[in-house]
Amino acid sequence: MYFAGVDIGSTMTKVVIVDEDGSIRSRIVGPTGAEHRRLANKVMEEALQQADLSFKRIEYVVATGYGRFNVPFADREITELTCHAGGIASLFPRVGTAIDIGGQDAKGLKIHDGKLVDFVMNDKCAAGTGRFLEVIADTFGIKFEDLGEMSLRSTREIGISSTCTVFAQQEVVSRLSEGILIEDILAGVNDSIAERTINMVRRLRIETDVVFTGGVALNPGVVKAIEKKLGYEVFVPEQPLLTGALGAALLGREYVLKRLAGNEPIVRKERQLAETTFFAQQ
Amino acid sequence: MAWFIGIDVGSVTTKGVIAKDGVLQCHHLIPSGFNYGAAAKKLLQELLTSADVSMEDIAGIVTTGCGASNVDFASRKVSDIVCCARGIQAISPLVQTIISVGGQASQAIRMGDSGRLADFAVSERCAAGSARFLQVMANVLRIDIEEIGPLSLNSTNPVTFSTGCAVFGETEAITRIAEGFSKEDILAGVHQSLSNKIASLVAQVGLEEKCALCGGGGLDAGLRRSLEAKLGLQLLVPPHPQLVTALGAAVVAEEKHTTRGEATS
Repeated sequence: MYFAGVDIGSTMTKVVIVDEDGSIRSRIVGPTGAEHRRLANKVMEEALQQADLSFKRIEYVVATGYGRFNVPFADREITELTCHAGGIASLFPRVGTAIDIGGQDAKGLKIHDGKLVDFVMNDKCAAGTGRFLEVIADTFGIKFEDLGEMSLRSTREIGISSTCTVFAQQEVVSRLSEGILIEDILAGVNDSIAERTINMVRRLRIETDVVFTGGVALNPGVVKAIEKKLGYEVFVPEQPLLTGALGAALLGREYVLKRLAGNEPIVRKERQLAETTFFAQQ
Repeated sequence: MAWFIGIDVGSVTTKGVIAKDGVLQCHHLIPSGFNYGAAAKKLLQELLTSADVSMEDIAGIVTTGCGASNVDFASRKVSDIVCCARGIQAISPLVQTIISVGGQASQAIRMGDSGRLADFAVSERCAAGSARFLQVMANVLRIDIEEIGPLSLNSTNPVTFSTGCAVFGETEAITRIAEGFSKEDILAGVHQSLSNKIASLVAQVGLEEKCALCGGGGLDAGLRRSLEAKLGLQLLVPPHPQLVTALGAAVVAEEKHTTRGEATS
């Protein structure tokens, strides 16, 4: 038996397929597609290909993330907070607090014994999210993936006084025109994100172990800035984007196995491996 | 004969007025650009030329605004809150609440008895709370900022923005354009979103019946209409709303000169 979790985020779609034992059989990260999640099914197809499975052999599919609604190839929707907590706890059983910074939001999760007990979230303001880094990368004309390595070369970090992304963009441009090195500005940008995130997550009372996930966790500069603020090491999964999809697949597996053990029917939807859109289908 | 100059160095525009015996003689506006000090200096020359006076005739210069510290020829620097309040008082002493919407900050001011400043609140940390949000949207829609007001007034079905962030708002506007919403409806939605932020700023200081709107935002008829609907009253908008703070700076220059004169005589 195989189970799939699909996490449709604002920028990336992530798919994880697990087997009956909960071991990962395939994991794929692909673009969501600016055109209303059109590409989500392609990411699923790729994951099936990687595991050498047909879609029919997937016992149960759970969709999560910002674009989880009306996914024609999912049996059920579960909120990303629950899925993240499940996925993170499966990788780091001692997790107490998780920090997730995605493309357009940032979250703090308090996890006890693998279960989500509380959370804080910012999805109202671009500052402190991946979007902030994207705007800065665009401003400097450098690739988003290169920001982290570049910032690590900094020897004289500067402070960014603006909180707002729009004002910070203007501020970094004037710092650059003053002759300050890009890496020193980027280190300041990372510090600004870390400051904002930690201030938010502190509301949960941070407990170790701290796990850092989401696309921004791939940026070693931000990881370093967060560790500096906390004063200790944080754990970053090998694939920090995939914890939501992993949690979704594992929750699907848990549901099916429980139902089978109790000899109860499994509630499924008529699945179709087709495009998904923001609008209800006509 | 005493001439006084007020210069308000804003994030977008530098405004200057020259007043003689408390009466406004002339004014000038120039883009602030990247060098606030140079903009202010250029503005000073233009003011002197227009009024046909030399520096020896000027009894005092006050600068204000976010670039005030870059001005090296002023007799003093005064906060823009104080200047804005003084400016409105010079125009209409009955105003009790002042809303000033500028290029990168908005202010709400409440006046107390006998022209004292009772309370104020500033929104300067978030672009979506200032006219900067309008500039961001003008860029997205490829229009000039002056076109925003008239277009917004023609809206029939304002878009509701789900976000209060200028960056997310930009993305949302692009999505709405793709869905076929008109510029007019998008701009009216932006005005509503901005009005909500300004209204909460006003609530912090207290809304009074005689409420004025000034700053560059006062030139935007769409913002004015949306704010009036949100606050439930008619706003008083002076003829040159963007000059109020510069005028206030000239008033303060004269006040300081007079009190100093009294003290030494």
